[in-house]
Amino acid sequence: MERKYSTLLIPLFAVPIVLAACGTGGTTSGPSSDENPESGVNGDVVTIDFFNQKPEITTQLEELADMYSEETGGNTEVTITTVGSGEGSAGLQARFASGNEPALMMLGGLPEIERYSDSLLDVTELEMTDTIIDGMLEGGTIEGTPLGVPLNIEGFGWMYNKEIFEAAGVDPDSIQSYEDFVSAVETLDSQKEELGIEEVFAFSGGENYIVNQFSANFTSPEFNESIIESYEAQELEWEYGDQMKKYTDLFNQYNVQPILTVDYSRSVEELFVNDQVAMVHQGIWIVPTLNEIDPAFAQEKLGMLPVYGENDTEGKIIAGAPFYVGINKNLDEAVVEEAKNFLDWMYTSEEGKEMITGDLAFVPAQEGYDPADISDPVSSDLYQSLLDGETGAMTHKQYPDGWFQQVLYPEFQKYLNGDQTWEEFEENTARAFTEMR
Amino acid sequence: MKGKHNTLYYWAFILPSVLVVLAVILIPLLLGIGTSLTNSDGYTAAFTGLENYQRLLSDEQFLSSLWFTIRFSFVAVILINVIGLGLALVVTQKLGKVSTFFRTVFFMPNLIGGIILGFIWQFIFVRAFEGIAGATGISFFSGWLADSTTGFWALVIVFLWQMSGYIMIIYISFLANIPKDLIEAGFIDGANDWQAFWRIKFPMLAPAFTISLFLTLANAFKVYDMNLALTNGAPYGSTEMVAMNIYNTAFYQYQQGYAQSKAIVFLALVAAISLTQIFLTRRKEVDL
Repeated sequence: MERKYSTLLIPLFAVPIVLAACGTGGTTSGPSSDENPESGVNGDVVTIDFFNQKPEITTQLEELADMYSEETGGNTEVTITTVGSGEGSAGLQARFASGNEPALMMLGGLPEIERYSDSLLDVTELEMTDTIIDGMLEGGTIEGTPLGVPLNIEGFGWMYNKEIFEAAGVDPDSIQSYEDFVSAVETLDSQKEELGIEEVFAFSGGENYIVNQFSANFTSPEFNESIIESYEAQELEWEYGDQMKKYTDLFNQYNVQPILTVDYSRSVEELFVNDQVAMVHQGIWIVPTLNEIDPAFAQEKLGMLPVYGENDTEGKIIAGAPFYVGINKNLDEAVVEEAKNFLDWMYTSEEGKEMITGDLAFVPAQEGYDPADISDPVSSDLYQSLLDGETGAMTHKQYPDGWFQQVLYPEFQKYLNGDQTWEEFEENTARAFTEMR
Repeated sequence: MKGKHNTLYYWAFILPSVLVVLAVILIPLLLGIGTSLTNSDGYTAAFTGLENYQRLLSDEQFLSSLWFTIRFSFVAVILINVIGLGLALVVTQKLGKVSTFFRTVFFMPNLIGGIILGFIWQFIFVRAFEGIAGATGISFFSGWLADSTTGFWALVIVFLWQMSGYIMIIYISFLANIPKDLIEAGFIDGANDWQAFWRIKFPMLAPAFTISLFLTLANAFKVYDMNLALTNGAPYGSTEMVAMNIYNTAFYQYQQGYAQSKAIVFLALVAAISLTQIFLTRRKEVDL
C-alpha cells in the first residue's frame, strides 16, 4: 500500500524540477555554457558572469573570456550572457529580480546606472580608470562616484559616401557651415540621375533610436555638452529646436519616401552600401555591417559630416560611451576581485588592447592608442577629435525612461508626416519630458 | 474504505495540477493585483492605493490603444469566422484529394509564428506593395504601414491570414459531425442547398461558434508578437495595441506598478467580454 502512494507522489516532485529547468532565460555561452551562468566560487574556480547588451560582439567577448581563463590557468571562468536588441535592460532587470545577479554588466546610460547604484562598485580603485579620456567617466558617475567604466566610444553624424560626393563635384572638406551643407545637398539632388542615386538621404524615420540619436545633436548644446547636466535636467526647452527643424525639413524633402517606413536595414544594408543614397544619419557601429557586405566600403568611401546643431557654423559629431561596464559589489569577495582583475586585464594588458582595436574594432575610451591603429578611417578620425575635445555629448541616453520610444519618436513621426506643426512637436515633447522625469 | 481510497487517489492525481495552477496563475495574479496598487519600478515599490487606476482614465495613449484593440478585435472576429466557415464549407465538398490539399494550404499560415508572419507581411506591405504602386501608379498600394488607417487594415489582414485556417479546422470537424440523415431528411422535405445550410447546418454549428468566437476574441485582444513585428506601433503609436502598450509601460518607462494596473483592467475587460460571449452563444446551442 505504502509503495503505491509513494509512486504517485513522483509527479509532484517532477513538476517543479521541469519548471525550474525552463526558467533560465536569455542565451548563455562561453567556456562553461553547459552550466548555469551564475557567478560564484566553486572549489578553486571563480566564475564571473558578464551581462552583455551588444549581441554583435558576443563572439569577440567569448574569445576574450577564453584568453583570460587561460591567463589565470583555468582558475577563473568568465561566462558571457547576451540579451540585446533593446531587450537588454529588461533582461538585466529580470536577472536582478530573480536573485541571479551578474558580476559584470553593461549598463546603458545614467538612468540605468542609477537603478542599480546600490549594487555597483566604485570603479576608481580599478587600474584602468586612470587611463580613461577626460570627461568620458562622467556618463557613469552618480552623485560624484563613478560606478561604471566606458566600454568603448561610438559617434554619429551624417555618414556619407565619398565616391558619390566626388562624382557630383562636392568636396566634403569644403563643407564648413549649414549653408555649405544645404548647397551640397542641392547639388547632389540636381544630379540624381547622373549619380545613379535614388535620393540624397535615407534617414530611417521608422527607427525610434535613430530619431533619438538625431535629437542629441540639438539637445547636447542645450545641456552644455554635459551628460550629468542632461541627466539632471527637469525640463527640455528645445533651445536649438529651430536648427533641428531646419535639418528635419531638409532631409524630409530629399529623403527616400515614405520616410516613416524606412528602417535600418533598408537605409544602410540596402540603399547606402549599394550607392543608392549619398547620406544616412548613422554611427560608426555600421562599419562591421558594411565590412560584411562590401569590405572596401568603410576603407574607401565612408566619411562622416558633423551636424550644425548649435548654430550654422559650428559643427559637431556626437560621441560618447553607449555602454558602461559596472561591477556588482554584493557578490562573493573573490568574485568581485576577479571581476576587477578581468576589466583591468581587458583594458590594460597587451592582449586585451590588441583585441580592442583588432577583433572588437572599438574606438577605445582610453588614452594612449595611436589613431592609426584604429581599424577604419572614420573611427580613427573620431578618436582624434575625441582626444581634441571636439565632440558633443550623448545627451539622448539621459532622457527620462521611455520618453524617446513613447513620446519623441511618435511626435517626430507626426511632424514628418505633416500631421502636426513643429511648435506642437516641441510643446508635446517638452511637456512629457517634465512629466516623465 | 473503498470510497476513502478513491478520494485519496483523486487528490493525489489532481494535486500536481492544482499546485501548478496556484504557482503560475493564482499567486502571480494576486501578486499582480498587489503590484498594481504600488508605484513599483521593478526594483523598489511604495504603496499608492488606487492612484494608478485613476491615472488610467486620463491616459490618452492607453485609451486610444484600447479603442484600437476593440475595433481590431471586432473586425477580426467577424471576418475570421466568416472566412473560416466559408473555407470549411468549400473544403468539405466531396472533391477527394484536392480538398485535403487545400485544407493543408489554408491551415499552413497558422504554423508560422506571429513574429515571422509579421516580418513577411512587413516586406509585402512595404516592398511589394510599393513596387506595385511604382509600376502601376495606383496610389492605393502606396505607404501602407506609414498611415494609421492602412496600418489598421494591415494588422487585420495578417491576423486573418494567420487565424482563418485554424478556425476553419474547427468548423470542418463540426460540419463532419452533423448527421447525414438530418440533411437528407431536409432534402426529402423539399429543402434546397441554401435552406439546408441556414436551417440545418447553421443551428447545428452553434457549439462551433461558441468555441471559435471565444478563441478568436481572446486571441485578437491579446495580439502582441504580430503587432511588434509588423508595425511596432508605428506610425506614431497609432497602431499600438493594449498588450504592447502594457509591455512598453513596464519595460521602457519602468512603471511596472502602473503597467500592472493596465494589465488588470485589460484582464477584467477580456474576461467580461469573453464570458458574456460564451453565455450568449451557449444559449443558441441545440440538442438533438
